[in-house]
Amino acid sequence: MPPDPYPSGTDAPSTDFRFIAHYNFPPFFTLQPNPLTRSSQLETWSTHILSYCRHHRIFTLTLIDALSTPLFHNTILKKKLSLNDARTVLNWMASKEGGERIEWIGGKGGKESKCWVFWRRPEEWADAVGSWVEATGQKGVVFTLYELGQGEATRSQEFYGIDRELLHRSLQILVKKGKAQIFGQEDQLGIKFF
Amino acid sequence: MASSRRGVGLSAFSNAAINNAYTNHGSTLRAAHVESLQTQLSVFQQLLHQFSITHGKGIRSNPTFRAEFARMCNAIGVDPLASSHTSKEGGKGTGSNMWAQVLGGNVNDFYFEVAVRVVQLCRETRAENGGMIEVAEIRRRIQKGKSIGGGMEVSDDDIGRAVKSLEPLGSGFTVMNLGKKQMIRSIPKELNTDQSTVLEAIQVLGFVTVSMLLDNLNWEQARAMAVMDDLVADSLVWVDLQCDETEYWSPTFIHDSDQR
Repeated sequence: MPPDPYPSGTDAPSTDFRFIAHYNFPPFFTLQPNPLTRSSQLETWSTHILSYCRHHRIFTLTLIDALSTPLFHNTILKKKLSLNDARTVLNWMASKEGGERIEWIGGKGGKESKCWVFWRRPEEWADAVGSWVEATGQKGVVFTLYELGQGEATRSQEFYGIDRELLHRSLQILVKKGKAQIFGQEDQLGIKFF
Repeated sequence: MASSRRGVGLSAFSNAAINNAYTNHGSTLRAAHVESLQTQLSVFQQLLHQFSITHGKGIRSNPTFRAEFARMCNAIGVDPLASSHTSKEGGKGTGSNMWAQVLGGNVNDFYFEVAVRVVQLCRETRAENGGMIEVAEIRRRIQKGKSIGGGMEVSDDDIGRAVKSLEPLGSGFTVMNLGKKQMIRSIPKELNTDQSTVLEAIQVLGFVTVSMLLDNLNWEQARAMAVMDDLVADSLVWVDLQCDETEYWSPTFIHDSDQR
């Protein structure tokens, strides 16, 4: 068993997700008027969203749909983040300041409705796949993308079950670095590692 | 008459002699007293020194023991934290250095370590809580110990002492009482009476509304609004707009669900 380059820590998918303390604090769901307080609030929201998505292995969010999920809606407190506030949070996460952990998909001018959630950035996924290939001595081996994302061999890896498009995008980073080559057609992409 | 005159003279003379004798005796006694006190003191110092060496580990690792040790030192007027910085403490002057020597660096170091953690935590959370954090919360976080060295066993008492050890730095860290809670204030800004009153009231339910202030404190609307605006501006409270009336919450109520 190769060492996991990104140990998933305590967030094993089988256990219940443990919300951060702020999730039980009613004003957390109202963006704060004080800029200082708000900046710390945005950071906390970012942490919360990333750990939630990581736990539930969510790779993309559709804003409207997500608003009614526990991510943004605390049913016990009967508090939820409004559409506008949620957009503000996601926009902040998409910014340099927020670590570019969100990337809007399509749409422009504040109308974006769907986004990537990078609890690992594509570069980090690329590293994870690269290290796995190296650690298991499979350089020179050809994989299909399906094998990498859904295959038996990678079941123990964090990238098992990764969104296909995200995987493709991450692997292209390895290609650019000259560490791999992608070939084949749309549905049957293969990759060879050097 | 003559005898009485002589008597006066004599008695005056002998009185002086007696007085002299008394003075002499007094000063001898005083000297002996001082000497014995000095001996006692040096014996005591040695014992205290020995004690702190023998039990240094215990003092560092066991919060109850440490608190007792600190209390004992306090009772006899020794400030275990006193160093060259705090020479004004109890007018010990050069003695303060001596105490630091006597007690060894261990005890000092421990409190300074705690103080460093306290400063770190206060800074980390300042944006969230406006520089006011519950002592108990700090203790929980220090015990969890995410940082270097892992968790430390500390008591609220230790934290209070650690904060006190920061005083000579003029850092503005103070421990204050707010209702039943002990808070560490890390921003040297005075709260006015109205602000303190509100912050104290908040500790009951976790939040207040303007109408609660009007009803319970007999304030006028404008006064209550002004205080709340100030507290928001100082990041000391968070607002919740998803209610019938705006609720102002204290960030000290950000707790894990099981503690709520």
